[in-house]
Amino acid sequence: MSVRIRFFARFRELADPEIVTEVREGTSITALIYAVTENNQAARDAIFDQEGGFRRYVILMQNGARIETTRAGETMVADGDEIAIFPPVAGG
Amino acid sequence: MLTEREQERYHRQILLFGEEGQDLLKEAHLFIAGAGGLGSPVSLYLAAAGVGMLTIVDHDMVERTNLNRQILHRDRDLGRPKVDSAQDTLREINPDITVRGINATIQADNVADLVGKADGIVDAVDNFTVRYLLNEVAFAKGIPLFHGAIQGFYGQAATIVPPDTACLRCMFPHPPPGEPAPVIGVTPGIIGTIQATEAIKYLLGCGELLTNRLFIWDGFRTRAEEIRVQKNASCAVCCRSMGEKEA
Repeated sequence: MSVRIRFFARFRELADPEIVTEVREGTSITALIYAVTENNQAARDAIFDQEGGFRRYVILMQNGARIETTRAGETMVADGDEIAIFPPVAGG
Repeated sequence: MLTEREQERYHRQILLFGEEGQDLLKEAHLFIAGAGGLGSPVSLYLAAAGVGMLTIVDHDMVERTNLNRQILHRDRDLGRPKVDSAQDTLREINPDITVRGINATIQADNVADLVGKADGIVDAVDNFTVRYLLNEVAFAKGIPLFHGAIQGFYGQAATIVPPDTACLRCMFPHPPPGEPAPVIGVTPGIIGTIQATEAIKYLLGCGELLTNRLFIWDGFRTRAEEIRVQKNASCAVCCRSMGEKEA
């Protein structure tokens, strides 16, 4: 099955703005993003912490609906899904 | 009632929303937290639009490294408290409004007093510790919070209207890192003018507000996008205060 991943803002400097990839059924959002950043250590370090979980402040969306980063490992993707990843900023 | 001078000053926007709308702006009081990158465009445009009272709070002095983006301040203001410089600039822009600068650090024990009886809060600070305080006081007082944040070419904005909309904690349960961020002045210019637009629309009661949506600006690629945000039923800030109000 095919899913689309969209990176926003600063993450676009580290990864392609949009990636369409084939995945097996039963793939979690965490596993999906971990796989597409396999050869991109800078992107992986920006998105994941040292334990391999999403950095807590990262905003994840599945088809426009918010997914808590703590639940991304148990949230499976489906054919045609769009996953969006956004790093909020803090400056003023 | 508008004076003759005010009618002339605001002529082009009175065409947009009438003298009744201009009166609403004149009678309004907004609290602007921060006189830096975001606080500069926000306060300049709110002053020019004729928001009757602006309270602006900051604890910093003007430094040369501020001047690429903090357009309230000039080279001659180096070393002055930012709120003093801000007051001078805003009074020059519009002598028909009241500007109150407060040189203070916003903290848990003074935020409610600083905000006072303002009709809304503009988030123009550079860290989430203070943003979360502003969010809490907005819900405690039942007044809107106009959020903005920037880094580099990127920015975000959202409008929070208690008690109904998603709050800042719903959107950002965990704060992004607050490392010293690179920034080009046009980015707070864009986000700050969005915040000012939201504040003006709220005061006028017109248009569609940026509620339950997070506006995302990518100036590097000139793309504006948004993501939907929802109230978090377990949010300690907005769902607790809803429960208290119902009780």
